[in-house]
This record gives sequence, structure tokens and C-alpha cells, in this order.
Amino acid sequence: MPDAPDTLLDAPPCASDPAREDLPLETLPKEPAFRHSRLQRLADRWSHLLFLACGLLVVALIGGILYFLAARGAGAFLPLAGNTDKVLTLREVFLSADWDPNSGKFGILPFIAGSLSVTGLALLIAAPAGILTGVFIAKMAPGWMKTLMRQVMDLLVGIPSVVYGIFGLMVVLPWVSGKWLSDSPAAGFAVSAAILAVMIVPTIVSLSTDAFESLPLSLEEGSQALGSTRWQAIWHVLIPAARPRLLTATVLGLGRAIGEAMAIQMVIGNNPQWIALMRGATDQTPILRFLFTPAATLTTELVQELPNTAAGSTWNNLLFAMGLLLYLMTMGIILATRRLGRQRNA
Amino acid sequence: MKSSSLVRAALTALLLAPAAFAQTVTVMGSTALGPLVKQAAEDYMKSHPGVQIAVSGGGSMTGLNQVVSGGCTIGISDVFATPEQDKSGIRNYNLVIEPFTLIAHPGVGVTSLNAQQAEDVFTGKVNNWKEVGGKDQKIVRVNRPTSSGTRAVQQQTVLHGKEFSNNQLVQDSSGAVANTVATTMGAVSFIELDFLNRANGRFVGIAYNGASCTKQDVSSGKYPLFSFGHAYTNPAKTNPQVLKVAEDFLGYMLSQHFQDTTVLKAGYMPVAYVKSLKTKL
Repeated sequence: MPDAPDTLLDAPPCASDPAREDLPLETLPKEPAFRHSRLQRLADRWSHLLFLACGLLVVALIGGILYFLAARGAGAFLPLAGNTDKVLTLREVFLSADWDPNSGKFGILPFIAGSLSVTGLALLIAAPAGILTGVFIAKMAPGWMKTLMRQVMDLLVGIPSVVYGIFGLMVVLPWVSGKWLSDSPAAGFAVSAAILAVMIVPTIVSLSTDAFESLPLSLEEGSQALGSTRWQAIWHVLIPAARPRLLTATVLGLGRAIGEAMAIQMVIGNNPQWIALMRGATDQTPILRFLFTPAATLTTELVQELPNTAAGSTWNNLLFAMGLLLYLMTMGIILATRRLGRQRNA
Repeated sequence: MKSSSLVRAALTALLLAPAAFAQTVTVMGSTALGPLVKQAAEDYMKSHPGVQIAVSGGGSMTGLNQVVSGGCTIGISDVFATPEQDKSGIRNYNLVIEPFTLIAHPGVGVTSLNAQQAEDVFTGKVNNWKEVGGKDQKIVRVNRPTSSGTRAVQQQTVLHGKEFSNNQLVQDSSGAVANTVATTMGAVSFIELDFLNRANGRFVGIAYNGASCTKQDVSSGKYPLFSFGHAYTNPAKTNPQVLKVAEDFLGYMLSQHFQDTTVLKAGYMPVAYVKSLKTKL
């Protein structure tokens, strides 16, 4: 029908429309302009319900995971049915660095510190590199290079994390050990952070590129018209202008890094007693000790020990609590991202 | 109409499937024992048509947890069940002996260690290979995760119950351990014997206390580096018919023929080599 209205369900009222009895009959057209068939209207209503159901299913899944983690994790701190072992106090878990499950010591500070250290180091490498690459792609690269680099970034994102891990174990560790450390083992924060950085750089680069490309050209042109060099324009005008979106990019990279398990567990050395080990290794300078002592994070501990622990034991329950901690940290990061993104529009 | 009879057939199949599945013997647990049990299952199903045996992995603890809760018929494991799990009435069958061996990076220059030396290497008393007759290289220990059964056995037999040094790397799969030892100077670890046979020179085995992994040395107790492969059933939570099939299947795995041929070929040893269970490994 050539002149059918756009939103067909809101067709204008007509004389035969029983829902609009309040309108004066004389002003309304005699026949409906256009009406969908009964089947089409039914399909429309049911598809609305279908999409709603899908959305609710996703929310239920996320809620279900949260409930599962909390229910099992709570068994570490509360005497629930299904526990076969003792319960722990919050203090001895979250404020203690003493991890020796076979003697009943469950301080998880080494894992929290490990996760934060490796993520922090990875961001230290990846954020500047990613943001400056974003500047390059957005502002300086010729057209063909822009497309090429975008494709390379997409490719890097597609590589499975376990492949990065095996590459690190078989190639990077022996190379670093032979060339820089006179054959001592290279497992530790340095190599893990380097591999993590390679994994999160594509995310940061894509978002930074978008951030810079969405800035109005007038900013850069205005700055250069006032006599700045290209670098001055970038450093003093563009980067501060894009700051909220660059922060979002960094925080998203942080989120990916903190949840990574497979890639780092092969190169980090997985030693929960790394803090004590680091203190004791007095034959190396502090910075080398920090970078090359085998360490552990929340994620690596989970992936290694969960399959071997008995259901209902304190250890098993505590691992679920650690999983819950990771879940909440990631949630916090996502909420922070949304808040940062919103501030820009305010 | 054709479509409705097709739908009816599909629905009938769907309804009957759980009943058919209920007669299947489900085996879950250790990925180390998995291939051996799968081989046994194929042989058994060939000679007993109408029986279904489904083998899957998940790890020793998963297998034990599942058999205790009734989620599977047989739980296969490299470790004994915990005392709490034993209380639930599960029954143990020792299927095979799983020998393991000490290994090291080829450049260390050591091919054998006596019991005291091996203990000192792993507890941290000795930190350089030259102290045990090798080259002047730092010892890099590679271990399993704290909860690993293999680590527990190593602690009991080689360290005589002492603690591992905390100056060590940890990898959770035998493959990762093998790769780490092969690529790290001065590395030492322990691994299933089968891996050494496939090492191709990337790492070397270290003889323990002058004994090697042969029938005589294992039976006499001279070579203590082994654990048992277990199969657990839960009679209280299993359908009697399925339980009967499961026990018959386990009987087949414990038969002389299976033990002397398939078990040896798979790199394990018949459980009969160890006459008595002196220690709970």
C-alpha cells in the first residue's frame, strides 16, 4: 500500500476502531487507512515476548552463576550442610599471606597481590603502547596502512589464549633465560605481563583509534593554527580531549587481563609462596627479584587446584569464593567503564 | 500424515533414551587412566554385546566426587579417596600400578641419585648440581600443584614426608612439566614413566637409589616410586543390574590376560607386582 503509515500498529484511529469510542465520529475517516493481517499482528506481539525471554534468560544465567559461586564460596566461611571440613574467618583469608592448605593455612593475599601485580605491569606496557598506536592509526597512517593495521589487530584478538601460553613456555621463557638471565629460569611477572600486554593491546588500540577519530577536526586544526607542532597538538589537546574514552579503553583491557588464566599459568611459575621466596632471594637486585620470581594469581590457582580438590572441603569452597572475588572485581570494572563513558556526555 | 508419524517416532526415541542410558555403565575421572579404561571398555563391549560403557574424563577428584554422589557408576582415580569419601560406602578396586620416575634437563650431568640425595634435592638442602655429582648449575625444581595426588605420592616416597622447598616452579599437566624440564637449564622433576619412554632425548631419566622400574625392583620395594590406579563403585547409589555389569567389567580389567598384555603395553604395571599395600599412598 503506497501511503501506509510507518508504525503499522499505531495506525490512526478510524470510525470502525472500537478502542477509540471517545473521538467524534464525524472527524474520523470512514475506513481504516491500513491494517495488518491478524497473523502479522500476532507475530509482532510474540516476537516481542521472545526477545524479552532471551534477555531474561541471559540475566538469569548471570544471576545463576553469581548464586552458584556465592553458595559454594559461602561454605568456606559459614558452617553449611555439605561442608566436610572446618570454616575460616574473613581475617585469616583476606588479611593473611600464609598459604599452606595442607596445614590449614588459607591466606589468599599472595594471589590477590599476584593478580594486581601482573595486571598492573601488563597495563604499564600495553596502555601507552596502545594509545600511541591509536594516535598513529587515527592521525598519521596513510589509508592502506590504516586498513592493514586494523586487520592485524583483529587477527591478534582472535588468537586463543592457550596458544599465547604455549608460545611463552616453549619460545619466550628459554630465550629470556638464555639471553638475559644467564640460564636461570625466567618464569615470573615479567614474561607473564609481556604476554598479557600483547593480548590486551588490540583492545586498547581499537578503542583508542575510535576515540581519536571521533574527536572534531577543529581541535587539531585550531591548535595548529595557533602555532603548535603536530606532537604538541596531540599531547596537549587531543589526548586530554579523548581522555574519558581512553580511560574506558584501558579499563576494558584491565578487565581482560585480570581474568586471564590459561596464558599466564604456563609462564608465571605458579608458586603461592612467592612473597616469601622473593624476600629470601637476596642474591639478586630487588627489581630482578620482582620480575623473575615464580608467582601465582587468583586465576592460575583456580585453574590448577579446582580439579584436584574434593567437593565440600574447605579448600574447594574457598576456591569458589576466590572465583566470586574475581567475578565481583570484573563486575566492578565493567561498572567503572560505564561510569567513565557516561561522564563524557555529561 | 508423514510428519506426525516422524514426530511421534522422535518423541518415542527421546522418551526411551533415558531408559537406555540408565543401563549404561558410566566411568568418570582420571585422564591418566582414561585411555586404558577406554581400551578395556571396547574389548569388553565386543565380547559382551548389549552392554554400554561410557568413559569420560574430568580428573581424579571429579571422578571421586561423582561416584560418591551417584553421578557415575565407576570413578577412576590416581589417588585414594579421602576418609570422608570412604565413609559414604564406596568400594575400592586397585586396578594398576602407575610408576613414575625422576627426570632432569639433559645438561645437568647426573644419571642417578641415592635416596638421601634425592630427598635433599627436593627439600632444598642441596641447591647446585655439583653437590650431587653433576655440573655447576643451579637446581630448578618443577613440581605439581599442591592438591595433586602425584605430588603427594612423591612427598611420601622420595621426601619421606618432609616439605618441598618453596623455591620451585609449578606446572599442572605432565605435558607442561615435560616441556618445562626440557627447556630449563638445571631443571629436575618427576613424571609418569610413560612420558620418559617418549622423551626422545629432550630430558633424561634419573635412576633412584640404584633401582630401576622393573618387576623385581617394584615387587621387592626397592623402587617405591609408584601410585595405584583405583576404580571406585558406590553400591548404595547404583542400580543393581548396572552394578553387576560394572563389577564384571572391573573383574575383566583385573584378569590375568588383561593385566599381562594391555596394561604393560600402556606403560603401567600389573597390580599383582606389589604383594602387599604397605603404605597408603
